[in-house]
Amino acid sequence: MSDVSSKSSDSSESSESQEAQSAPNPTANSDQRTPAEWLTFSIASCLLIALISAVIAAWIDPRHQQPPLIETEQDGAVWESSGQFYVPFTVMNTGGGTAESVQIIGELEINGEVVESGEQQIDFLSGGEAEEGAFIFSQDPQQGTLTLRAASYKLP
Amino acid sequence: MRKRRRRHQWVNELDNLVRGACGGFLFGIPLLYTMEVWWIGSFVEPIWMLGAIAISFVVIFLINRTAGFRKSSGIRFEDAAMETIEAIAIGILCTLLMLILLQEITPQVPLDEVLGKVIFEGIPFTLGVALANQFLSGGESDQPDQSDKQAADSAKKSTRPQNTDELNGTLSDVGGTLLGAAIVAFSIAPTDEVPMIASAVSGPWLLAFIAASLLISYAVVFEAGFANQSKRREQQGLFQKPLGETLMSYLVSLMAATVMLLFFRQLSLSDPWQLWLTFTLVLGLPATIGGAAGRLAV
Repeated sequence: MSDVSSKSSDSSESSESQEAQSAPNPTANSDQRTPAEWLTFSIASCLLIALISAVIAAWIDPRHQQPPLIETEQDGAVWESSGQFYVPFTVMNTGGGTAESVQIIGELEINGEVVESGEQQIDFLSGGEAEEGAFIFSQDPQQGTLTLRAASYKLP
Repeated sequence: MRKRRRRHQWVNELDNLVRGACGGFLFGIPLLYTMEVWWIGSFVEPIWMLGAIAISFVVIFLINRTAGFRKSSGIRFEDAAMETIEAIAIGILCTLLMLILLQEITPQVPLDEVLGKVIFEGIPFTLGVALANQFLSGGESDQPDQSDKQAADSAKKSTRPQNTDELNGTLSDVGGTLLGAAIVAFSIAPTDEVPMIASAVSGPWLLAFIAASLLISYAVVFEAGFANQSKRREQQGLFQKPLGETLMSYLVSLMAATVMLLFFRQLSLSDPWQLWLTFTLVLGLPATIGGAAGRLAV
């Protein structure tokens, strides 16, 4: 489709090539925007207004002022594969602000003694965001008590 | 006549937009493959996002006074201001699509994180949009290079397929693609982003990677109207047809990407073939975009 424009620039002298490009303008007047350009501009303006409104909406959202609240829970049943026990978990930030380096700890207690523990770190957890993962134990978690908790985070 | 003019007007505007988007891809793709920018988007405060939009508006406006993505752009105050809004919109839209492709934006990601990522990735992209006309020794509209014209003329004259011409044309295509692919993708190949993105994409997303690579590559070389586009269309060689050339350069870029990944030990012979495929396609996207720019530069 740009064949046409390349031909026009080929045939014109270098000083006139600028003119040749704007020639398709209906009024042959470079001051005038074509309907096509107006359409682009209106869509672009709408997009930018939508973007800025969304940012302002996120800004004044009262949830945003709250500190991060990290909740960790087991997500689904434990499954076993080649002698290993997989405990799926979900960690969710139910607060407002973003938490960085969220540390999740899973501890397996059997007969009142911590026999195994696992650690996982989530880089960033925004307000309302959830991440999933799994802890892997070599002993059956159903034989004892399993604790999943968030141990720490830092503010970005 | 009038109808043709009107049609031409829309085609012209579409070309302008494609050129802007291509400039953005050339400039913005390395930062789209930078996880630190995704993270900035994850934690940045909304007030900073507004500040970033305001600052970039001023910068893009100043660039638009001299460059811009339209061939026939006026440099009046209001023209530059309107083009700035359009450039930011192109940048934001393309960035959003790319971040969805890279799986950095999914339905699970909360709105403020989406906004942060799109804005902070979109701003460098928008710079590329505004600089689109300055890329690759200017557009063909300003001062067609004498040597370019001669090359195009001589290419036109030799309509009979000559083996040496074909070979030279093909070799220079491959060379340009490799050069451009190396410039853009070599700095991405050793980074952790490749395995990170690869771990997030699968099945249909890989097909989308292929489609996006081919589409952007085709647009950069044959639609954006960067320098040498008419020469490209005259180029002799085994793959002189636009579609054939795009496909061929994609394959060359993929090979280059694989070699780079091997060079940096991101891939080893013991890895499964699925990993080779995913890594190559993920790095293939920036490599193809670089390769497209490389063919225009050679």
